[in-house]
Amino acid sequence: MSEPLLQVRDLDVRYGDAQALWDVAIEVHEGETVCVVGPNGAGKSTLVNAIAGIHPAHRGRIGVGGADITRLRGHRICEHGVAVVPEGRRIFPKMTVLDNLVLGAYRKSARRQHRATLADVYEIFPRLSERAGQLAGSLSGGEQQMVAIGRALMAQPRLLLLDEPSLGLAPVRVDEVYDAIERINERGVSVVVVEQDVQRALAVAGRAYLLGEGRVVLSGPAATLRDSEEVRRSVLGL
Amino acid sequence: MNVIQAILTGALIGGLYALMATGLSVIWGVLRIINLAHFGLILIGAYLTFQVATSWHLDPILTLVISVPAMFVAGAAIQWLFDRLRLTEFNSLLVSFGLLIIIIQVTSNIWTADFQRMSADVNPYATLSVAVGRLVFPVTTLVAFGLAALVVLGAHLVLRRTFAGRAMRAIAQDRAVAGAFGVDHRRLSVLLGGVVGATAALAGMVFALSNALTPETAFEWFGTVFAVVILGGIGEVVGTFAAGVLVGVLSGVVSAVWSPATAPFVLFSAIILALLVRPQGLFAVGGAR
Ligand SMILES: Nc1ncnc2c1ncn2[C@@H]1O[C@H](COP(=O)(O)OP(=O)(O)OP(=O)(O)O)[C@@H](O)[C@H]1O
Ligand SMILES: [Mg+2]
Repeated sequence: MSEPLLQVRDLDVRYGDAQALWDVAIEVHEGETVCVVGPNGAGKSTLVNAIAGIHPAHRGRIGVGGADITRLRGHRICEHGVAVVPEGRRIFPKMTVLDNLVLGAYRKSARRQHRATLADVYEIFPRLSERAGQLAGSLSGGEQQMVAIGRALMAQPRLLLLDEPSLGLAPVRVDEVYDAIERINERGVSVVVVEQDVQRALAVAGRAYLLGEGRVVLSGPAATLRDSEEVRRSVLGL
Repeated sequence: MNVIQAILTGALIGGLYALMATGLSVIWGVLRIINLAHFGLILIGAYLTFQVATSWHLDPILTLVISVPAMFVAGAAIQWLFDRLRLTEFNSLLVSFGLLIIIIQVTSNIWTADFQRMSADVNPYATLSVAVGRLVFPVTTLVAFGLAALVVLGAHLVLRRTFAGRAMRAIAQDRAVAGAFGVDHRRLSVLLGGVVGATAALAGMVFALSNALTPETAFEWFGTVFAVVILGGIGEVVGTFAAGVLVGVLSGVVSAVWSPATAPFVLFSAIILALLVRPQGLFAVGGAR
């Protein structure tokens, strides 16, 4: 098999003295959708934020497309084609929808084509074009989620990290978001999705990782994880 | 007629307040730093104008060729230092106050604590005025107002229309996420510090046009300029301009119909009332912060 697009090895992440991840290793190949599940506090968001450069790694190696990004300052990481939809959306509430999206294309190589990318994003989320001039903070939760995903797409990522994209959304909205994720993946973007809604995530993903207390507990094809005793116990509560 | 004159003159003088306040407000809104050293930069800008115009017999407005680049570098350096120190909003108040004291000390060592004023032969503007009917406008206040309007308009356009401007507003709202999209906040904060330093040079020049300088003046700006920043809404450039004009008009009118001595009392009472009604600032509509 070819070299993975994302390769995380021996990753430790700390918040001051408190360690949140131990020896975490995950891989994502070109074109794959991988999901990360686990109970609250397992370290899923910590993993996403470490890859995206929102929080630094303490030890280990994070490689993207063969390049080592572990020690890069946060703003350099997106140049390697990583974009994130962080937990809680974290859109810029006092900027318009349009400005949020355009900011997504801040990195040099995305900036030149930002108008074309914007048209693509509007095609995926037509509602955003209707709301373009509105302050992002005044949108509904579902619309804000679209802004967060649209902003990430504006960066023209090779690897899209989504942290709980369905959080707080009505079931119809969740369907819309997952349809969009599938379409994005079909365009050749590799996807890592962290999800509370385990059934949903395991349905779209090819492979999955189960995190528990800061370590990878289990990994394998999504279908296998869905039936595993550990997943049923630790996240589904069955 | 007196009152109309007072209103208009006040509005024009308000331009100087706005010019002084804009940089402070933007740095506060975008970088979460309350940079009291900004008053020090205005002071040095004023002395540079005085010194260069006096020694070289240069038109005081042309001294900007020297003072703007100098204050750009100084402002950028201060921001670089603040960034290394990883200042919190509150600590920035203490550190930059220290810096201001140092700047004031240095200026009084160089230029003494005595009042310094450009002589009439180097500064033709001090006595010039424009008459419209029976209204008279000192040229210095027209310069202040014009420069303030230019700076505010420029800042507004940059913040709204450019990638760098959007990045600054994004930093103000969520620095880490802005970083994940490629915004280098260190580079931008140094750049912003430089630009704000340049506006301090403009404000200093305008002040030196119509006033005698003494290092202690820096403290006299505090009250009014902070009032303008808070009323305008932190990080709101257009709001800052409006607040500057409002404060100028209010002090002008109170001074004219009552007495100059009561102006600060009325002004700050009005400001406290205004903030009771709109704690986010009178003109805040959702700017940088
Ligand atoms: N900013 C922080 N400072 C200190 N500790 C933190 C911080 N963020 C997370 N932690 C700790 O790190 C651990 C992992 O948190 P993380 O947010 O990664 O979990 P998660 O798997 O995303 O949980 P959830 O499903 O609730 O989102 C937790 O024990 C949490 O308390
Ligand atoms: Mg989480």
